[in-house]
This record gives sequence, structure tokens and C-alpha cells, in this order.
Amino acid sequence: MIKLEHVYKYFSQNKAAVADISFEVRPGEILVLLGTSGSGKTTTLRMINRLIEPDKGDIYVNGKLSRDQSPELLRRGIGYVLQDNGLFPHYTVAENIAVVPKLLEWDEDRITERTKILMEKLHLPPAEYSNSFPSQLSGGQQQRVGLARALAADPPILLMDEPFGALDPVTRASVRNEFKALDELNNKTVILVTHDVTEAFELGDRIGLMDQGVLQQLGTPAELLFTPANDFVKAFFKDQHLLLELKSLSLADLKPYLPPTAETDHYQPHVLPGKISAWDALQQTMGIEGVLSVDFRTEVYTMDSKSLMTAISLYKQTVQAHGTTTKL
Amino acid sequence: MEPQQSFSDFLQQESGKLLEQTLQHIGLTFISLLIAVLIGLPLGILITRRKKFAGLVLGIAGILQTIPSIALLGFMIPLLGIGAKPAIVALFLYALLPIIRNTYTGINEVNPSVTDAATGMGMSRKQLLYKIQLPLAMPVILAGIRTATVINVGVATLAAYIAAGGLGEFIFGGIALNNTNMILAGAIPAALLAILFDGLLSLLQRVQLRKARKAVYVLPVVLLLLSSFYLLPPAYGSKLLAGFTPEFMGRRDGDLGLRSVYGLHIRTVVINDMIMYKAAYEKKIDVISGSSTDGRAKAFDLVVLDDDKHIFPPYYAAPIVRQSALDKYPELEPALNKLSGTINDSIMTELNYRVDHLKQDPARVAKDFLVAHQLWKPARGRAKGTIRIGSKIFGDGYILANMYKMLVDGYTDLQGLTKTGLGGTKICFDALVNDQIDLYPEYTGTGLLVILQAKQPTIDSLIQDKQKVYDHVSRAFQQQYGIKWLKPIGFNNTYALMMRRQQAATLKIRSISDLKEYLTR
Repeated sequence: MIKLEHVYKYFSQNKAAVADISFEVRPGEILVLLGTSGSGKTTTLRMINRLIEPDKGDIYVNGKLSRDQSPELLRRGIGYVLQDNGLFPHYTVAENIAVVPKLLEWDEDRITERTKILMEKLHLPPAEYSNSFPSQLSGGQQQRVGLARALAADPPILLMDEPFGALDPVTRASVRNEFKALDELNNKTVILVTHDVTEAFELGDRIGLMDQGVLQQLGTPAELLFTPANDFVKAFFKDQHLLLELKSLSLADLKPYLPPTAETDHYQPHVLPGKISAWDALQQTMGIEGVLSVDFRTEVYTMDSKSLMTAISLYKQTVQAHGTTTKL
Repeated sequence: MEPQQSFSDFLQQESGKLLEQTLQHIGLTFISLLIAVLIGLPLGILITRRKKFAGLVLGIAGILQTIPSIALLGFMIPLLGIGAKPAIVALFLYALLPIIRNTYTGINEVNPSVTDAATGMGMSRKQLLYKIQLPLAMPVILAGIRTATVINVGVATLAAYIAAGGLGEFIFGGIALNNTNMILAGAIPAALLAILFDGLLSLLQRVQLRKARKAVYVLPVVLLLLSSFYLLPPAYGSKLLAGFTPEFMGRRDGDLGLRSVYGLHIRTVVINDMIMYKAAYEKKIDVISGSSTDGRAKAFDLVVLDDDKHIFPPYYAAPIVRQSALDKYPELEPALNKLSGTINDSIMTELNYRVDHLKQDPARVAKDFLVAHQLWKPARGRAKGTIRIGSKIFGDGYILANMYKMLVDGYTDLQGLTKTGLGGTKICFDALVNDQIDLYPEYTGTGLLVILQAKQPTIDSLIQDKQKVYDHVSRAFQQQYGIKWLKPIGFNNTYALMMRRQQAATLKIRSISDLKEYLTR
């Protein structure tokens, strides 16, 4: 759906803001571009909808070279969410959501209907909010309107530039959860820019870690953690390494390292599903005395917090020795 | 002094003129404003897109703004003549800066993430401009238009200097005539117009952003409507066009006398003394209210029409001095009287010609004259006291004030200090009465008619005899104001109707009666 090939962008003569970026994002996939400010992640995003023109390299959107498409028509087919929402202050909520459908010259009834559906899905009751102005809404509500506006014309592609960055942590988590649960996202190609590592790990199918305009590593969360491509990647996650590891590993990943189970231990009162993360499992085992069961569908294991910790460290030793992960 | 008629009487009496001037004033203000919006708004938008021109355009508009308004009007005359055109252009130039600047600022201050979002949604530049930038910048743009309107209402009063009409006719006429009612009749409506339009625009500015979208369409219509006021036809036409100074317009020995004594009804525009002669020479106007000793009459080859019914009283020039200054420095009076009897009409015309037309420095002309008449002495350079010498803004005044300064410096231990350019009679005389100056050259006729505002019977009994007029004003000034008329200088600078020599000869007009005859023929 989106493909970048050796893309460069220079804002000053000798230093590239973005250098030799290549990646491909498939429909239904969420790619997170992660990095500190000035890493080139937003520039990369804005080159896709041609708010910034690349100096070198090719960008394909929907299989066609983006520079061969009219910028206006291209953008109308791409949903765009900004950090400080960029809602039009002189438009009502309904008018804000209807911007792209209007540009696409949908008929009035269809626009009204679509606006209503989106507002309901994003927990903004139309009766209450249709005629409100953005300034009358809370930050979280404004960001939801921004999201609804981006989704209004049901574009196959969604570009999100720090969409939750301006919200307080509590609101951020709730809007993020709503976002994850949206059925509208099914089969969309999403690229999301953030500097928030937790957010990247929570939302990203894959993460592209950028620094100094260069894509340092592109891969699944577990790949970035356990087989970092270089020292920068390693150092980037250092502070939260254990937490991220525990969150990105599932019990299924750890299965080979859990101790074999005695027949007598079958079916403890506490049973955990095999797909939950090591982090969640650890929280559960800490809370109870003794052992509990893990249901891997085909078989059932028994473990306690000690055997879980042992499994994690065995996993890490193995992965680091082989340079690969079981998820690959 | 005769009590002045009340303000409401004046308004009633002049209501026709007031309405006409007010409409002209509104028209002038809004025609120029409309043009300024039509040009300033696109220009403001353009420089938000071509940022490198922004500094240049705003710089030029800023410089235009700093040119004194009267000077700007002056620049316009060689290019556009007199009347509405130069006035509108000058007002337009003044209105330009606030409109361009506020358009530029307003659009630039639109939240970048809003314009970014609009572009990112797929709006074209035109859609971005009309749907996002202009509506959001509208309050700031309206503030600019508001500023420009208030500036224009103010500056439009100066249009009266170049025959473009407006409330300035009353204001400048009133200042020249020492007629407070007339000044107020111009100034109050002008101030009310400024307040009214400012208020209306502020209402428009405060309406919700949402409705501001409509303001984009309503505003041009309103501007166009208001502009059309200026195009209302003048009251009556005639074969010749007269240009009279504001002062002349309101005087009994001016336009009023021409109407009542001669029955002369001529289409008239009000014009500033400084450009009147040139405008006559350039055939913009045909008849002017000059002064008989003005050097420019000679320079521009104008002839004086004979005042065969004697409506213009003698205007003998003499210094008028605060009695307190004479008492304090007894040596002052003899020094000032040195000039008495030395300058006749033709000498004064010649001196004025050198200043007005040859552009020589009044101080130099004054010194040359004193030296030639062996009156000049080098300054003693002592400063026992200071004598402040005023003058009106005519050539006569500048030259005489300089002569008096040299006489004071050379013949007394006092130091002369000139304060020239004090506007009209009212400003000079008020300055003298309020001890801001010690003396200035005044004319007996002006003293009688403008300052004393003598009644008609008094005027009729005196007007034919210059000595009687002098005696009357001397006595009255001493009694009422403690101001002494010294000996007359010699020349008689009276009003005179003037025409181009060529035209007067062709039309066989020699006197004012001839002119009347020609117009009614």
C-alpha cells in the first residue's frame, strides 16, 4: 500500500533530514515510526502525503508513484491526524468531520449519515456535539474529532503525527484504547509517528526506530528488544528494557523454557491463557501462593513466579546466543 | 465685539452646506478605503505567499504612512491636479498600510496546525484561502480596515485644501475666520463620523467567527454604497470655476460680499492658498481669491479684477504688539517703526515674488531689503530679553517677521525670535493674546472684520477710508486686548479676484461686474 525506496530529504545543504529510508507497509498493518524530536520521523510521514517533497528516492502510494498524482487528490485519499488536532475553529464538530467528504463532493445526506456514525463510534453523541465548536470540547474530545475527520471518507491509508501527544496520560490511554478498538481500522494501512516508547510497543505491529534521519532498525517489538541492530537501538530502550521485554514476550514464547509439568499438578485453581504477556503473567503469579496453570490449548503447563523468571532468563540467553527470536 | 450667533443657529443656517460636506466627506473616506481594500487585501495575501516581498511592500507602505498628509497632498498636485483625484489617491495611500499589514499579520497568525491540517486534508490553495485563512484572519483584517477608516475620516478634512470638499471646508474656514461655530460645524461631524464608523466596524469585528464568513461579502457592498455619496452632483454649475480659500469663503468681504453686493454666483471649490495660483495658471480653475501683493500673481501672469463696488476693505499691514512688551522694553517701538512707510504694494509684490516663486530664503530677502534701505545693522548679540515674533503662513508674514527680528537684534539689546507659520488669523491672534508671542504683522481689514467682527453699519461707515479703519482698530485693540497697532508699513494687501491675463482679455473681463455680467449672460 505504501512503499518508500531510498528516500532523502535535505533542509540544509550538507545534512540530510532524512537519509536513505526504505520500507513497505501492508494493508491492515500499523507501522510506528519511533524516535526523538529531530530524528526525521515526522518529515518521513509528511513526505508520504506530499506536505514535504522528497529530494531523492521514490514513494509509492496505492501502487503508484506519489509524485505522479495530484497532491490534492492524493491527500483526499489519505487520512491525516495531527498532534494538536488542527481542527478548524470556525467550523462546528460536524462540519470539521465533513471536510474531506465535502471536498470529494459527496451528497449532503451521505455526509450527514457518515458524520453521525463516526461521532457515535468515537463516543461523541451527535445530538450533543454536532453543533459545538472545537473550543467548547475537552482535549480528548478534540482529538477524537480529529480522528473522526481523518476517517470520514474511509481512506485506505491513515497517517498519524503524534496523535495522542498533546493529551494528559490518563486521557491518552483512554483515547488510545478507543483507537485500538475501532473497527474502522480494519484493513487500513496506518503509519503512526510517536516519541513514546510504550505507545509504540502497544500499537505497532512493526516499529521503525529513527535517529538523525536514518532508520536504525525496522522490525517487530521483540526484534528491536532482543536483537538490536546497533548500540543506538540497544541504548534507546535501556531504561525500560525489562518492562518492555516482559510486555513484548508472551507465555507462548516462553513455553520451551518452562519446566515440564508433573501429571499430579494438572489444573490448578488459577489458569492463565497462553497468549498473555510475561508482564501480566508475572503480576498474576506474584499475587498468589504456590503454582498456577497455563493453558496452551493443546497442553497445560504449571508454573510459579520463580519458574517464570527462570524461563525468561533462559529465553534471553538463547536468543542472544543465536541472534534470532522464536517470533521470526 | 458683537456676540457670535449660537452654534445651533449656525447649523440651521448652513444645514445644506453641512449635509453636502458630510456626504462628500463620507464619500471621500470610503472611495479611497474601497480602493485601498481592493488593492491592499490581495497585496497582503500575496506577500504571505511571497515572503521575500513582504519587507519591501510593508516598508514602502510604511514610508507612505510617515509622509505628512499635507505634504502628500502637495506631491499629488503636479501629478493629478486638484480636486477629488489627488485627494482620493492620497487617502488611499494612507489607508493602504493598515490594510496590507493586518491582512499579512492576520493570515500569518492563523494557527499553523490548522492550515497544515487543511492542506493535509487535500484543500487547494484557493480553498485554503477562502475557507480557512480569510475567515480566520477576518477579525484582524477588519481591525486594519477600522484603523484605515478612522485615519481616512481624519485626513479627509485636509481634502478641503485641494478643492476636494469635505468637512475640512468648515474647519479651515473657521480657523481662518476666527469663527468657532464654523470650526465646530466641521470638527464635530468629522469626529462623530470617526466614532460612528469605528463603532460599526468594531461590531462587525466582534460577531462570531462563523458569521464573519458573511462579512467577506457584505463589506464590499457597504463600502461601494458609502463611496457613491461623493458622486452626488454639485448644487449648480456655471461657465467658469472659482477656487476660493476657506477664509475667503466665509467672509463678508469675500464670497458673501460677492454674492450680496455683486450678485455673483459662480461654481466654487474650496482650495488652499498655497496651490491656488498654480491651479489657476494650469487652468484647473479660472477665478481665484488672491491677495493683491502676492508675488505669485506676477509669476503666473494673473490680472486683478477691478473691485468696482468696493467690497474689499483696505488691508494695511502694521505690526501689532502686546502693550506689556512695549512697556517693559521702551526701545522696542522705535526699532519696529523703522520699517514704517518703506514698503509699498509693488515692493511687497516683488519681495513676495522672490520668496514664493524664486524660492529665495525669506531671511535673505528680508536682509537684502534692509541693507538696500540702509536699515540693516549687525546683531548686537546681547540677550537682555527675548521678543517672540509670529507670522501667518503667507509670504508677507515670513518676510516681515524676519525683518522685525533683524531690527530687534540690530537696534536693541533684545533678541528677536521668529515663530513663523502660525496658520491663520485665529491661531496668530490667540497666540498673541495668550502671551505666546509678542507681536505679529496684521492687516487693518482683518482686524476690523475677523477679530473685532464689526457690525455692518460700523463697517459701512469706515470701509472707504483707510485712516478711519486704522484708527478704529487701534482704539478697539488697545481697549479690548491691550494690544497696540504700530505705524502701518505702507502696503495694502487686500483681497482681489484674479484671472489668467489671457482669459480675462479674451472674455473682456476687467472688473468684478464684468465677470458677473459674463456669467449671467
